[in-house]
Amino acid sequence: MAHSTVKGSRGRAVSPGVMFSSPWIIGFFAFFAVPVVASLYYSFTDFNLFQSPTWVGLENYRSLVSDELFRKAMFNTAYLTVVGVPLGQAIAMLIALALNFPVRGQPLYRAIVYLPSIVPIVAATYVWRWMLSNQHAAFNDILGVVGLSPPNWLLDPVWTKPAVILIGLWTVGGTSIIYLAALQQVPQQLYEAAVVDGANTWQRFRHVTWPALSPVTLFQVLMGIIASVQIFAQTYLLAQDDNLNAGSGGPADSLLTFAMLIVNKAFVYLDMGGAAAMAWILFMIIGALTAVVLISSKRWVHYGYE
Amino acid sequence: MWTGTEGDALADLIDKFNASQSDIKVVGTSNPDRQSQLASLTSSKGSFDISTNASIGAWASKGVITPLDDYIKRDAYDLADFTPVAQRLSQYEDGYFGLPVVSGTYGLLYNKTLFDKAGLRPPTTTDEWAEAMEALTVEEGGKLTQLSFGGMTPPYRMLGMAFGGQWYDEAGAKTPSDPGNIEAAHYYLDNVIKPYGVGAIQDFQSTWGEYSSADNAFYQGKTAMAIDGPWHCHMVPEFAPGFEWGVVPVPYPKGEPELEGSAMVDVNCLFIPANSQNKDGAWEFMKYLVSNDAMESFSKAISNLPTRMSLLESDAYDDVENFADFMAIARGDNAGGLPPDPDADEYLSDLSRAEDTFTRLKETPEEAYGKVAKSY
Repeated sequence: MAHSTVKGSRGRAVSPGVMFSSPWIIGFFAFFAVPVVASLYYSFTDFNLFQSPTWVGLENYRSLVSDELFRKAMFNTAYLTVVGVPLGQAIAMLIALALNFPVRGQPLYRAIVYLPSIVPIVAATYVWRWMLSNQHAAFNDILGVVGLSPPNWLLDPVWTKPAVILIGLWTVGGTSIIYLAALQQVPQQLYEAAVVDGANTWQRFRHVTWPALSPVTLFQVLMGIIASVQIFAQTYLLAQDDNLNAGSGGPADSLLTFAMLIVNKAFVYLDMGGAAAMAWILFMIIGALTAVVLISSKRWVHYGYE
Repeated sequence: MWTGTEGDALADLIDKFNASQSDIKVVGTSNPDRQSQLASLTSSKGSFDISTNASIGAWASKGVITPLDDYIKRDAYDLADFTPVAQRLSQYEDGYFGLPVVSGTYGLLYNKTLFDKAGLRPPTTTDEWAEAMEALTVEEGGKLTQLSFGGMTPPYRMLGMAFGGQWYDEAGAKTPSDPGNIEAAHYYLDNVIKPYGVGAIQDFQSTWGEYSSADNAFYQGKTAMAIDGPWHCHMVPEFAPGFEWGVVPVPYPKGEPELEGSAMVDVNCLFIPANSQNKDGAWEFMKYLVSNDAMESFSKAISNLPTRMSLLESDAYDDVENFADFMAIARGDNAGGLPPDPDADEYLSDLSRAEDTFTRLKETPEEAYGKVAKSY
């Protein structure tokens, strides 16, 4: 508004704008642009936080290739993403479909589903840690009731990652609510037309609901992937033992995620160069995954209802 | 770095120090977070002048800790009363970077009730220990209900030393594959892991409660023994009053009496950051904290061992149950520690990782420790 009304030379028109946006511009450079560029530089150096960095070229990247821990962290993160994201989306969509039925008390159910999403992640993870441990066995007692033999969620390397995914599913309500909003945008006449054409429930979902939800699904899958490859808090808190400063990765390092290894390298081993290199690799992975999903979306995302 | 009880004990000493002189005023801050310590150390002006931490080697090697040799020389400060191991662990490359304020050592803690019930005496040799391990593990219906000792993360550092193993050689090089370390690992696997299986031990361990609580597996009788430190002297009255326990030195291999009393000692060093704005004041306060009286009251309050020989030999701690046994272990000739090492954090993480692998029987101790050895 102000911009379009300022008259005179271009310089005078710009300066108030720059002034008004200067808090943001300064913040952007001080807290974002400069650190980002600096981390790129550090990724090519040997830097221990205290002494001046020394240039080592691609050495940090090269040594990661042969680093067994790096591979383990990649695997764990990939596991959580490949299993966790689709599962989370599917369950969120199912819940959204259920919450879309016109039944009494629906606002209450919607609130209940969303509620876990507002619990702070650290508190929630600690409660889960307590529930999943066999000391109190709260969760496993429930599994026992339905006749399942309870796994050793926190100590058996095979079960630690499923435990993280389970905790993630608990907060699926946030995703569900967005699906629900999208569902309510689907024009009713499309369903009516489908019924007239003799479509059964599955066909109505497959050919009406699913295409209509696809733009939102694309958005949620992308957000889900980005959050998942950066997962830190849940795995860190589950892997935690008595020594808060040690770089624990849980039983057999089964909880060591990409982000946890970055933190360990940076602040436990004081290898800032290696940590910066990993952070840039993570950035490139996120970029590549986003590109793949976006390119593939041309095949499965439908915009508009025409 | 101390909080809670430790923080309170330190606050008392700060008050006393401030009252004792008028030149220096110490303000205590309690901050158990190492990340913020690191942040302060990297800035041009430090936010604290004195602190403690175990990473003396890592930080001294990077020049962020003030060397104390000039101060020691200037004041002709007498270090002779500090135990040899405390002196060694306060130095990096022959220079003092800290003064030892308190220390911990490890003994074999045993549950007297369970030992009496089994008609056993606390073991002195590893053979007797193995017998006790067998007798004190209880299986019911294919599930463990009591384990002798350990679990999936036993104190391998200490076990290795008990078998004469070294984690560093004299020159400070890392020696994970030392024969004593390997022997200790096999001893543990043969007596605890293999007889009952990884799965059974893991399942049982998942029922153990938090360490610093009444649910500690040792207090609950879920484990009959533990290799642990003197802090239990104040934890037991707090969390498990009435719990009957005793302490003996960790057993030594039969036929190798020269290894009797092998014990690992951790030392907590006070240090002055290189960017401190008041090094002289910090030095004065440091001298005060490691003085006889201050050390006595502080170590007693937090059930850590004093680092002064005169205190280790004194009767000042006689009213603390079992403390004398820990003091005797710390006085022994075989009390040693891990020397300050710039890569200590990474080395110890690598060792734990290797130990996790062979405790799960995925590799042999030789293979797992061998890989660590190769990476340095």
